[in-house]
Amino acid sequence: MVTTAIREIDNTQNDPRQRTELITGGNTFTTVTEKVCSIVEDPKTSQTWFVMFGVSLSFLGVLGLMIAYLFWTGVGVWGVNNPVGWGFAIINFVFWVGIGHAGTLISAILFLFRQKWRTSINRFAEAMTIFAVMCAGIFPGIHIGRPWLAFYLFPYPNAMQMWPNFRSPLLWDVFAVSTYATVSVMFWYVGMVPDLATLRDRAKHPIRKFAYGLASLGWRGSHRHWHRHEVVYLLLAALATPLVLSVHSVVSFDFAVSQLPGWHTTIFPPYFVAGAIFGGFAMVLTLIIPTRHFLNLKEIITLRHIENMNKVLLFTSCVVGYAYSIEFFMAWYSADKFELFTFLNRALGPYSWAYFIMVFCNVVAPQVLWFKYCRTNILITFIVANCVNVGMWFERFVIVVTSLSRDFLPSSWDLYYPTMVDILTFAGSFGLFFTCFLLFLRFLPAVAMAEVKTVLPSAHLEHGHHRGAGDYHGDIPEAHKED
Amino acid sequence: MPSIEQKDKSGQDYWRSLNELADTPDFQEFVRREFPNNADTLMGEDRRSFLKVMAASFALAGLTSCRWPEEKIVPYAHRPDNRTPGKPVYFATAMEKGGVATGLLVKSVDGRPVKVEGNPSHPNSLGGATPQELASVLEMYDPDRSQAVVYQTGKQVVSKSWEQWSEFIENHSAALRQKSGAGLYFLSEATASPTILRLRKKIEEQYPQAKWFEYEAISDDNEREGTRAVFGQPYRPLPDFKQAKIILSLDSDFLGAHPAALAWSRQWAEMRNPDGAFMNRLYVAESMFTSTGAMADHREALPAGQIATLAQALIARILQHESLKASSSLDDLKGIYSTAPATHFPVDVLDALVDDLVHHQGESVILAGSRQPASVHAIAHLLNHILGNAGKSIQFAPAPEPLRPSHKDAIAEVASALQGGGVDTLVILGGNPAFNAPVELDFPGLIAKAKHSIHLSLYRDETSMLCEWHVPRAHTLETWGDARGYDGTVSSVQPLIAPLYDGKTSCEVLGSMVEGEPVRAYDIVRKTFEDSRYKPTEKEWRTFLHDGIVADSTFEKRAPAVDIAGVRSISGSSISHGEGFELSLYEDLFVYDGRFANNGWLQETPDFITKLTWDNALLIAPSTADELDLNEEDVVKITAGERSIEAPVSILPGMAPNTGAIALGYGRTHGGRIADGAGVNTFAIRPNGESILQGVTLIATGKKYALAATQDHHAIDDIGMIQEGDLSEYKENPEFAQEEGAHYPKLDVWEPHEYNNHKWGMTIDLNQCTGCNACVTACQAENNIPIVGKEQVTWGREMHWIRVDRYFKGDPGKPTVTPQPMTCVHCENAPCEQVCPVQATVHNDEGLNVMVYNRCVGTRYCSNNCPVKVRRFNFFNFNYGLKEVEKLRMNPEVTVRMRGVMEKCTMCTQRIEAVKIDAKNNRRPIRDGEIVTACEQACPTKAITFGDLNDENSRVTKKTNDSRNYSILDVLYLKPRLTYLAKIRNPHPALANASEETHGKHGHDSHS
Repeated sequence: MVTTAIREIDNTQNDPRQRTELITGGNTFTTVTEKVCSIVEDPKTSQTWFVMFGVSLSFLGVLGLMIAYLFWTGVGVWGVNNPVGWGFAIINFVFWVGIGHAGTLISAILFLFRQKWRTSINRFAEAMTIFAVMCAGIFPGIHIGRPWLAFYLFPYPNAMQMWPNFRSPLLWDVFAVSTYATVSVMFWYVGMVPDLATLRDRAKHPIRKFAYGLASLGWRGSHRHWHRHEVVYLLLAALATPLVLSVHSVVSFDFAVSQLPGWHTTIFPPYFVAGAIFGGFAMVLTLIIPTRHFLNLKEIITLRHIENMNKVLLFTSCVVGYAYSIEFFMAWYSADKFELFTFLNRALGPYSWAYFIMVFCNVVAPQVLWFKYCRTNILITFIVANCVNVGMWFERFVIVVTSLSRDFLPSSWDLYYPTMVDILTFAGSFGLFFTCFLLFLRFLPAVAMAEVKTVLPSAHLEHGHHRGAGDYHGDIPEAHKED
Repeated sequence: MPSIEQKDKSGQDYWRSLNELADTPDFQEFVRREFPNNADTLMGEDRRSFLKVMAASFALAGLTSCRWPEEKIVPYAHRPDNRTPGKPVYFATAMEKGGVATGLLVKSVDGRPVKVEGNPSHPNSLGGATPQELASVLEMYDPDRSQAVVYQTGKQVVSKSWEQWSEFIENHSAALRQKSGAGLYFLSEATASPTILRLRKKIEEQYPQAKWFEYEAISDDNEREGTRAVFGQPYRPLPDFKQAKIILSLDSDFLGAHPAALAWSRQWAEMRNPDGAFMNRLYVAESMFTSTGAMADHREALPAGQIATLAQALIARILQHESLKASSSLDDLKGIYSTAPATHFPVDVLDALVDDLVHHQGESVILAGSRQPASVHAIAHLLNHILGNAGKSIQFAPAPEPLRPSHKDAIAEVASALQGGGVDTLVILGGNPAFNAPVELDFPGLIAKAKHSIHLSLYRDETSMLCEWHVPRAHTLETWGDARGYDGTVSSVQPLIAPLYDGKTSCEVLGSMVEGEPVRAYDIVRKTFEDSRYKPTEKEWRTFLHDGIVADSTFEKRAPAVDIAGVRSISGSSISHGEGFELSLYEDLFVYDGRFANNGWLQETPDFITKLTWDNALLIAPSTADELDLNEEDVVKITAGERSIEAPVSILPGMAPNTGAIALGYGRTHGGRIADGAGVNTFAIRPNGESILQGVTLIATGKKYALAATQDHHAIDDIGMIQEGDLSEYKENPEFAQEEGAHYPKLDVWEPHEYNNHKWGMTIDLNQCTGCNACVTACQAENNIPIVGKEQVTWGREMHWIRVDRYFKGDPGKPTVTPQPMTCVHCENAPCEQVCPVQATVHNDEGLNVMVYNRCVGTRYCSNNCPVKVRRFNFFNFNYGLKEVEKLRMNPEVTVRMRGVMEKCTMCTQRIEAVKIDAKNNRRPIRDGEIVTACEQACPTKAITFGDLNDENSRVTKKTNDSRNYSILDVLYLKPRLTYLAKIRNPHPALANASEETHGKHGHDSHS
């Protein structure tokens, strides 16, 4: 993992006369394989990796300690109290689930829409999804009062003849998130099989040979294999696509189905999904910008990719901003005094600082992306993406805390403050995330080599006369048919 | 961070284990106090074995407590008739406070008292009880109570056996008798016990030179002096609120802090029925907000020092009124009160008041508060006399012991005797003078001047620490005795359990000093009755114990004549008009004079108006706070005369301007682990038993002190939680309360439940609720609700199932306030039930919303979705580490909840089931009123009604169908089973419009 400074190559023009390269630097099949595999195969692990891994592992340890302390002592170690029954745990849950959206969106929906630029980033994004869902999955489990009884939430046959309450959105959550996690893992793994086989073929050490051999499920690269692979991949993409929309809709039901002012709104499912895509893309950008730098992948993950993601960011930012304003409109239009009060309280009450952080980070900051200069400037992109990460966390904070802290009866109002345990648990979840992510970078192919190769010019040399413009190039099945 | 590891002295770690405590200085101090002779060895390397000993002794304490009252002890070789193990039995007893007893019924399960209730046949209770009485059972099981006789000389502190104590007191008494009691001083807390009176006579015979004094820090002496001046001897006023159409309280909290408040608030509330024969009208002038002020139809905030001026103005106005002009019998009085001084009391209200009083002669009651000087009491009772109330709407009974010196004179006399070295033996029976004696006497410094000093008390407290002998006192629930109610009714005190720590009572200590007295409390008390005019037969004695009272044993009532000379003398007494800042030291409704400070239930019950727990604070009006530039929780230095204390500020709307108030009884230093450090000791600035201090200065210290309040300040109801109107409005439109609700079609999302058998429901009449908090404590006792400590309250984690919400209305300078008890309303369309993922909260076929603790995993979703936020979550294992002796207090019929479980009001499902089982066994229907929830039982005014809504004739059905009945948050269509009856105020017609304006101005700004 040698860090070499490569000048950014601008491949963001859309000139209909000339196809823009998605992969720059004149890479061929061989160089792509070499570039991606060398990250995994380099016998010397870079010091940067070790330092980052050490830090991440420490945070993971903090997470473990915090959970142990929590289990030993009780939920009271957190700042939750009587009106505010849900605090950081649920905020973090929704935050991580939201992040977990971009991966499957990039893999599945962009795949179905034939967005070929996805190939460079989908592996990252899917890995990020899985790790984010892992982080998310922890929180509902630990936030309950008696975590050793968490299995009561699953509908398993038992001697008590007790079933969970199928009317409860928390139960729907259990199904939605576990389904999403399962499908995401399958999708990620199926897509990775050919690349694992490449690693297996190149492996020299017997343990690597064995491990990659086991993981690649006997992949030989035969036409039949490729055929099966692509059918499965397509089917999984079709299966995952509705899940992208459903999982965050169901998460939003946790709030929307209740009758708390500020939670009880029909706008929540689309608003949450848009927010999740928004937050997910921001996190992909946050991760990919340093990764492409450190792993020398700037030719594979190019400015054009970043600009495309910035466009998604800008669009979803506008959707989210629209949702924020329509919530206020509806609160006024409903003529419901509780609803109206809740929204005024959000903006002007004791948590108004959180509200304005949210609005600034999610709605104001991304507006710079209207300018191409900003979309193609790595530093600005990185700053905006991080703003969105912060803003999306605060969005969940605002929704969960402001609504609960002041609901119907003024007599039961109370404020919520996180404790150190809350904060360290949240920080610890980043430890888990980055530990997994760093291990992924070191041991698994970070870029979908097989898929990237399909968008290389060398994959289409014989069809040079029939080139689409922009991102629509390299449509292999179509091209084949015409021949 | 709510670390449970912190061990603050204010009892935050109440529920933590002994083991954890062992390393703290607190614990070591505790061990030194309790086991002074062995502490050093015990605290050495051998601490572990010490803990074993401790554990064993607690376990033994547990065993002892399983005995029956000593005199009836029966080994269970054969089960006695009518006694089924596990089936509760009730005993009538009484608890004396300040010389006035309230009758109680105590529930005992297998020899353990678990719940205290009011005794319905006792005239001072009528079935209701105050939080102090309800919480007395916790005090009895308090592991901090002293457990051994302690003897100290100089720095040497040793524990002595009871035998050693008996030997000492016998020998010492004999020696004193030789000297005919010279130098023997008794300092007792106030008591009206016939047995103590009898023993006192014996003491007088056997020790002719001995002196007996009574001291109470909170006393009715001003009333005694006032009535003495007017009628020639001290009287106890006994108003009959059933005849009182107009009531005037001059700073008197007769619905809250008064010793007879339970009975009086019942009578008062009965006359608040807007559909009844008449509805009384209550005028209150007071400096701080009391329950009485909150209930008033016209409340005026007036500095306590200006009440006297108001009283003078009022009596002058009344005497000059044309309806009284003619009566020449009043000429003398007219001469004395010839001019009405200028008062800050609003003229229109005074006009209305005069108008009401003169037009309801013989139908009004005027009462003055115990804080007020004797001259105000004199005027109040003169007015009762002039207006013809005496003998009609108010009676007078000669106060007991007319000749005793006032409490503050008594303590001063003892102090001067100590100072002069004339005290050989000082016997302090109860009380805690080292803590609460007037500060200028320096009583703590004087105790050592007595050659011998003996202190009998429940705890080894501030006074015990200074006395030669400390003798553990038996708790009221542990021993035999007798007492008298406010009206004089002789009441029985009988044990529910053998003394846990072998304590003695006052009569046992006195008995041991008197020759020819039996040893045991039972025999001493029995002897009193044998020697008395009652001479009960065995059957009569048993009836007395069963009923708890001797019928018709009240004080004789008289219509006293006015002593003009006395009136003249007292009218001339100077009246302080209040220069500068005025500070009222008020009686706390929970810790009283500090004696209940180690009771966790009482410390954690939020004050009805300030909502503060675990602390006292300087209460000032918002306008005063602005003037002095003080904010909530600012610490100020309060200087009165030469002395000063530091206390946090709490801003309370409705306080009189430029006055402050702070509760007495906090800031104990040797009160036990709960009491120590909770609040500020205000006795430290209280001179000569005064409760109103003038010319006080406040200086901000720049420090902050966190207060634990359970409700935000200035919560103003603008969502219709409280429905209230004026009587005239109600007469015009009886259904005004229901019109607030939602006016769109109401559709059930689910198939509505069917209730074929019972359909439990409850109503709370806001017209009768005085916010006394009895329901809160009763619920805590009945349902094994833990206390959580100050820090957890600060975090918003108090566990009370029922809370009393308080809503201000109107101008913050002159608000009205309404308390609203709020508990689970058992919605038929319960939002909690729909969101619980594991079906841990479900609807039963009788309409109760029930919690299944075993199934609950603690997602807290139900609480989030509860619109009234009455669900309580066990954030920690609040019951972990309870000592064995504390576990004995638990109601065995109610599950003790573990950590991570949600809980809430069950409408006392255990009480419902107990009656259902009995009814089923006897094949009879359940009678209305047979099932009584704990809150309903304790409610002094009977504002709470529980019953079967399927029974057309039940009280609850009638109240549910009442035109005043309304459901809260109707817009959510919860279909609650707990509904409220709107509050009706009864302002004077001339003032009704004015008050309407203030009512209309609901502050919407609170929601920001």
